[in-house]
Amino acid sequence: MASDIADPVTDQLEISCQSCGAKLVLDANLRSTLCPYCASPSIVTRPPSPNRPSPAFLVGFVVDHEHATDAVKRWVAGSHLFARSDFKAAVPELTRGVYLPAYLYGAVANTSYSASIGENYTETETYTTTDSKGKLVTRTRTVTKTEWRSLYGDHCCYVMDVVVSASRGVTNAALEAVEPFDLRALRRYADSFIAGWLAEEPSRSKQDCFQLAHDESVAKVGRMLEQFMPGDSHSNLQFQTNLSHEVIDLVLLPIWTYAVRYAPDRPPIQILVNGQTGRVGGKVPISATKVTLAVVAVLLIIGVILVLVMAAQR
Amino acid sequence: MNDPVSTPSVETPWCSRCESPLEPGDLRCAICGQAAPYDQQADRKNVAVKILRCNGCGAAIAYDPKLQAPSCSFCGDVVTVESVEDPMEQTDHYLPFTVTADEARAALRGWLGSRGWFRPSDLSSRAQLTQLKPLWWVAWVFDADAFVSWTADSNHGAGRSAWAPQSGQNNLQFDDILVSASRGLTAREVAAIGPGMNLATKLDRPSGAEERATIEQFDVQRSQARQHVAAAINTIAAQQVQNQFIPGTRFRKVNVAIVLQRLVTRRFSLPAYVLAYRYKNDLYRVVICGQNKRLIIGNSPKSLIKMLAVACIVIVIGLVFLAAIAAGR
Repeated sequence: MASDIADPVTDQLEISCQSCGAKLVLDANLRSTLCPYCASPSIVTRPPSPNRPSPAFLVGFVVDHEHATDAVKRWVAGSHLFARSDFKAAVPELTRGVYLPAYLYGAVANTSYSASIGENYTETETYTTTDSKGKLVTRTRTVTKTEWRSLYGDHCCYVMDVVVSASRGVTNAALEAVEPFDLRALRRYADSFIAGWLAEEPSRSKQDCFQLAHDESVAKVGRMLEQFMPGDSHSNLQFQTNLSHEVIDLVLLPIWTYAVRYAPDRPPIQILVNGQTGRVGGKVPISATKVTLAVVAVLLIIGVILVLVMAAQR
Repeated sequence: MNDPVSTPSVETPWCSRCESPLEPGDLRCAICGQAAPYDQQADRKNVAVKILRCNGCGAAIAYDPKLQAPSCSFCGDVVTVESVEDPMEQTDHYLPFTVTADEARAALRGWLGSRGWFRPSDLSSRAQLTQLKPLWWVAWVFDADAFVSWTADSNHGAGRSAWAPQSGQNNLQFDDILVSASRGLTAREVAAIGPGMNLATKLDRPSGAEERATIEQFDVQRSQARQHVAAAINTIAAQQVQNQFIPGTRFRKVNVAIVLQRLVTRRFSLPAYVLAYRYKNDLYRVVICGQNKRLIIGNSPKSLIKMLAVACIVIVIGLVFLAAIAAGR
């Protein structure tokens, strides 16, 4: 199935700009391009194949370049306490606004589960203690105890709206960081929506994406089961999920991608912005110096407290 | 509440997975998420390159996030594209009034006279009807098959704790279940008058109201309506599972997971009379089902004198009882 995944370099496509006639070279993983001479947007429609189906749906860009850049600047400046200072001061560079290919997956999930369910009850118990005069006295108190019962059962539900990245350039974890997309604004794919924008073709095999979606669905069912358990508490929740009636559709999602170069000896950090909601996601580089200083400071405080306590006891 | 489910026309698209009808503009099934069938272009055999051009000036167009549509940056022309279809809900059917305004007035008099011992003795004679308004209120009526997985705590098989965990799966069938979309009527009023509606009498237009009636409109969009109906199905399923399937007599923490099939939702305008009457200086409201005058709900005054008298008698009896106990010691 991996044979129809094109190599972006060797399978480049040479096209003529239909506006000025210039020769353009288009990477195999792109669906659209802009002519560098006349800025005319060209859209390429390739024959669909199992690993590169035609997009079924699209979510349009709502956040423009200016707002996305502001969101990234705010996110970088307000990032983690232990983020490197040069990262916080770095200026984000726009790589591009791109329609990212992703698969929208749904299935019927049949799950068999077992768990220990804790049901609380109260008991009055007698205990011995010393009163204010130092005498031994017997008193009673109410304590809450838990009775553990086994529960077995089956759970059946629809799993919907599982989104997995079909691009090798953006990992599924990176896409999850800027999710969710409001899928109520889903539109049927039309070339006119990607005119003037970069749109990627899927660069991951459908089988790989299917597996990712499958794993994400099972994790989603697991979270549902956590809420589904009765009792006051539960433990040892185990389950086996069988997914059937699976549907998977290719959808193009709006993403602004930024690169932040914060040190000459380090690779740039990729930051994504959800082109529909403006949510920013990326991996923040942690400063080893800041972490070390924080650990040393905590140890010093503990040491000072210990010294003070010992001095007070002498 | 029996309305034969109309057989869908041949043109009505249905979801092939959960067999629920798809509405115009649906890209995906709202119940199970399957993509709606779409007449795709015939598979392309060759690579095609194209530039979309403005119909006005011929310049190349590009998608504009501000307009959320492709537009021409030279002449500002916006290309019309398939929009996200989420229309406001509209009534499909009206049920006619079969109770006349005079019958509603008489029903109110009868109801005032049957308000129990605590009502003021002169309630029936002194209450003045100040308003009688025919109202078509809006509701969704749905049919569906549901496969329900459930868990709960009940007292069945309880040990040291008062609760024992239970689980199961059952099929439920929903026929003509009414979910109110009304802003004018409360949930309590809808629950009281809803059972009186005969869905078989449905018409395409309002009928049977003698005076100028208020016709309530749905004020939610289709996507919100579906959320309302889904929430109602969850609540009703949990209630039915508790009543029919969970062993025991006391329940808590009833959880349900539902796989819906063949969910058909219809939008109805249903008849009711909203009456207001004045007793002394206060106004009270009563709602009467427009198709069954015996279904009445409302509020009415209580006689303060009667309530004080009963309270005094109870206190006196209590004091006598305490005195008797004290004398017996």
